[in-house]
Amino acid sequence: MFTPSHLKMRKTRHRNKGLFGSALLLAAIAAISIGQSRAADWQLFGPNAPDIEFHGFASQGFLDSTGYNYLGASKNGSLAYTELGLNASFNPFPRTRIALQGIAYDVGDAGKYDPILDYAMAEYTFNDYIGIRGGRIQRPQGIYNDIQDLDLGRTFVLLPQAVYDARWRDFYESLDGADLFGTIPLGACGSLTYEIYGGVIRPSMDGGVALEIRNELPPSAHLDELNTPKVIGGQFWWNAPLDGLRLGAAGVYIPSFTFTNSFETPFGPIRSVTKSSVVGQQYSAEYLWKAWTFQSEGCFLANTSRLAPSTNEYDLGWYASAAYRFNKWLETGAYYDEYYIQGAGKATLTSHSDTFQKDAAVAVRFDVTNRWIFKVEGHYIHGTALLEDNALNPERRDNGWWMIALKSTISF
Amino acid sequence: MLSLVRGLHANPPANVRVIVNEGVRDGSITATELKNIYTGRTNYWDGGEHVVIAVLSDSTDEALDEVSGMDASEFRTFWQRLVFSGRGEEPRTATDAGSLVELVASTRGAIALVPADVPLKGVKVLHVK
Repeated sequence: MFTPSHLKMRKTRHRNKGLFGSALLLAAIAAISIGQSRAADWQLFGPNAPDIEFHGFASQGFLDSTGYNYLGASKNGSLAYTELGLNASFNPFPRTRIALQGIAYDVGDAGKYDPILDYAMAEYTFNDYIGIRGGRIQRPQGIYNDIQDLDLGRTFVLLPQAVYDARWRDFYESLDGADLFGTIPLGACGSLTYEIYGGVIRPSMDGGVALEIRNELPPSAHLDELNTPKVIGGQFWWNAPLDGLRLGAAGVYIPSFTFTNSFETPFGPIRSVTKSSVVGQQYSAEYLWKAWTFQSEGCFLANTSRLAPSTNEYDLGWYASAAYRFNKWLETGAYYDEYYIQGAGKATLTSHSDTFQKDAAVAVRFDVTNRWIFKVEGHYIHGTALLEDNALNPERRDNGWWMIALKSTISF
Repeated sequence: MLSLVRGLHANPPANVRVIVNEGVRDGSITATELKNIYTGRTNYWDGGEHVVIAVLSDSTDEALDEVSGMDASEFRTFWQRLVFSGRGEEPRTATDAGSLVELVASTRGAIALVPADVPLKGVKVLHVK
């Protein structure tokens, strides 16, 4: 969290990045158009070798807001909202699959189109009950954590930011390690799907966590390093016998997250190390009924400083959403979310509006074709806790504000 | 209550047959196993062969709805989520029932739901228990 005394001015590169994003998107569209607008199956090693399946997507968004700059310089309209992805997978042996995906994204100051290896893993499925995958894997948490990049997979432009912060995906989405997965039948009670994982996270210096830390540091400080924290956790889904209903619970534990920053002084730089442990919980409910999709999730994140005196900060977020599909090309939806900062983090904030953020959104999604979608979304937001860009938002008032979001995605 | 029953016994309609590639060793399948395949919970046949789902593109498919519990749009979105999270492979598509049969015949591990009156060649019919 920041305090007003930590405000610092940084050069803004949003407009140039927006243009760069548009150019990248056009290049992706051209590449897809020149090829085929569908998934490609290549047999690189002859007709008897396993097919290699390729898929990809390119998204370009636009954000325009009143009151504050959110997820970029949105008060003047921001194109700094781009996502690109390309993946490949194949089954070289029985019960074995190899898959990898690279992504690049830019959301405001986060991402900066740095290519990220989203996942690169080998998976062996013993049977429906148990399988194992290893390498760089996607971290399951709730309905959307592992598919935050995938605009195709949801009704909305922006996922409820109280639970899924669009800037933090480098920290939350992937880990280097392994997980066990499977589905256990429960007879008349449905089934239980599980994933249990462990490994390390490799946060990017251009990602959302680094961005937030820099935002909180005083102007004379410099973020030098993020560590590679260990992580363990799991996701459980109860697939209820009522068709379309599933309930989930997820937990994550990061025993030691460390970042190092330095301060310039007349006597040379002074280095400072900050250590904390993180415990997260997320609870989810999803119900698909006819053309309706109902979802609700709540998350609780406790960040405990490991320095003396130890301090605790708690982040609480939840949302409820409903979406309705009229036909194969038109879908609409709405959600409401709330986010709160509690504990020591709240005590450092001088503006009441920085302790919470509430967002009511309405969206319309058009499936122009099976491979091209377009979305329009309106938001009414109250609170500023998730702005995380002090330089672009030097003043906070306890008022409501509006934002419109547009986004288009192509895939193959 | 109807949807509860449907969830437990996702039988395809009587006028639909479940066909698979001739290389698939299984000869029969339960309604629950069929649903597990169409909802991504079962990815391999008993012999270890990877399951490849084949569906009709751009159509309302009642059989698919009945078996998976999702309409065609939901089904597409559901599998896109699995594909881009590295947890599944997108179903193959064909433009008509005849092409669907050909696709299953030529694709190892493939499975599809086809109308009972479509001529079959080079595929095996799975008995749904």
